Amino acid sequence: MNIVTPFLQQCVRTPNNIAFVEAEEQITYSELRAIILRLTTFLNFKHVQNQCIAIALDRGISSVSCIYSILAAGAIYLPLDMKNPATRLQIIVEDAQPRLIIGFGAPPDWLLDIDKWLDYSQIPATSFNVTPAESSPNSLAAILYTSGSTGKPKGVALSHQALSNFSSWAQKTFTITEKEQIASLTPFHFDLSIFDIFTSLSSGASVHFIPTHLTLSPSRLTYWLYEHKISCWYTVPSLLSFIALKGSLDKTSLPNLKQIIFAGEVFQSVHLINLSNLLPNATFYNLYGPTETNVSCYWKVERNRLNPEQNIPIGQPACGAKLSINSETGELIVNSINNFSGYWQQGELRPIDTKNYATGDKVSLNQYGEYCYHGRLDRMLKCSGHRVEPAEIEHYISKLDGIQECAVIGIKDMTSGQRPAAAVVLHENTELAETIHPLKKQLPTYMQPSKFLVLDKLPVLSNGKIDYQAIKLLFNS
Amino acid sequence: MKQQIRNFIFSEIIFVAEPTSFSDDDNLIESGLDSMGIMRLIVFLEEQFNVTLPDSEIDPDNIKSINTLEKWILLHKA
Repeated sequence: MNIVTPFLQQCVRTPNNIAFVEAEEQITYSELRAIILRLTTFLNFKHVQNQCIAIALDRGISSVSCIYSILAAGAIYLPLDMKNPATRLQIIVEDAQPRLIIGFGAPPDWLLDIDKWLDYSQIPATSFNVTPAESSPNSLAAILYTSGSTGKPKGVALSHQALSNFSSWAQKTFTITEKEQIASLTPFHFDLSIFDIFTSLSSGASVHFIPTHLTLSPSRLTYWLYEHKISCWYTVPSLLSFIALKGSLDKTSLPNLKQIIFAGEVFQSVHLINLSNLLPNATFYNLYGPTETNVSCYWKVERNRLNPEQNIPIGQPACGAKLSINSETGELIVNSINNFSGYWQQGELRPIDTKNYATGDKVSLNQYGEYCYHGRLDRMLKCSGHRVEPAEIEHYISKLDGIQECAVIGIKDMTSGQRPAAAVVLHENTELAETIHPLKKQLPTYMQPSKFLVLDKLPVLSNGKIDYQAIKLLFNS
Repeated sequence: MKQQIRNFIFSEIIFVAEPTSFSDDDNLIESGLDSMGIMRLIVFLEEQFNVTLPDSEIDPDNIKSINTLEKWILLHKA
């Protein structure tokens, strides 16, 4: 079934419910449906079935409309992170080779092939009552680009079935009904957004887009949650920590906020305890899973088991996943309908065996039979909820003039999880500041190393490989 | 005070290749100071300068530059 279908059915049941609230604008289910039909009519004329269409719009009503229309037309949506520097956007577009790129106004400077550009505001008003394209369970629905260990971003391709499986699991598990007021902050290139986009609209719920600037003013954000009577919010722990610490929750109570769901990184227990004390009536859920499996494990937080000295478990299998642990390495293996279909490379799906996905995460079972997370088996970092491959940062640094060698590691951080830091070896007569200057324009903020260390040579292990542990120690000393 | 704020921001929070050419009025938020950075910055400022910065005043207006940060801290230092 096309993942758009539950939304269209909901439009018949609750046409006058509010679907989205964005700043001063709000839109009902039937109004949203009208926009989607218009865009789908246009896309159908372009014969885009099974082709990738990129969206160069920030999260909001227009971009959700694009996502639903692209899916209804049988195509695959690719949300671009408009906060990415131009060079990274170019790399992603070059790799994805989308048929079209939808945005507002004139094509941006970074776009080399302007024939692909489609100005959202110029899409004609003609509209037919289209039915969504037939989609087989394995038809692709979304491509979410994430940091790649080969040095380049990689596109995780997800099928209609994978998205639907998660969406309906979440609807049941969190009993999302048409009364739900959902807050949405996650950019659409993050898998957390699948809840905000699909679970919500197949339940008749209302989604309220949190204005981005509020993330810089925690007590205003708290007041916004109060004012909008938000009942459910799925977000990243780092922001929740900020609100717990500085969000004036002792002054503004949030009686409507019944469910807080979080994922993307480890929620430091100290902050979670703090938040749960400030929100005594809310239920908390810890969701776990890389983009490749979406949510594969979850734990409904048991308040009496919270301990500041101990990380919370990731819990039980979710979404019908079958989990196993590699007995030699401790690596978590996920077999789930949620699993991705492969990586999207050079404009097409590179199918790989994705049935049993090795997560690269080290886990164990505790006395309650729950899974517990113990970090990565490889070098991947989690920075404010973003997945960051040090190899991608190294790829950019090593291309800079004046750099001989470099190695990127993660520094632990109380609030943002980890932050990248780089050890570099410079050519003779080279200044660090001058050398690294171009990085600012090449890497997204969360990937920019917050510290640099200039060394005469990188420490190596006896087998000649770079000794990352030794570099970590150098940063700590 | 400005120098201490600068040192912390440029060594611990945001990446600026040449901090010396970053003026006290330049916009920190446009240079990558995000919510997580702000949280760490405030924890640092409160400890370092022994002030309590009210939650309700954590806002881009007060945080946007080295100069506005200093002004904000001094307001509560009295």
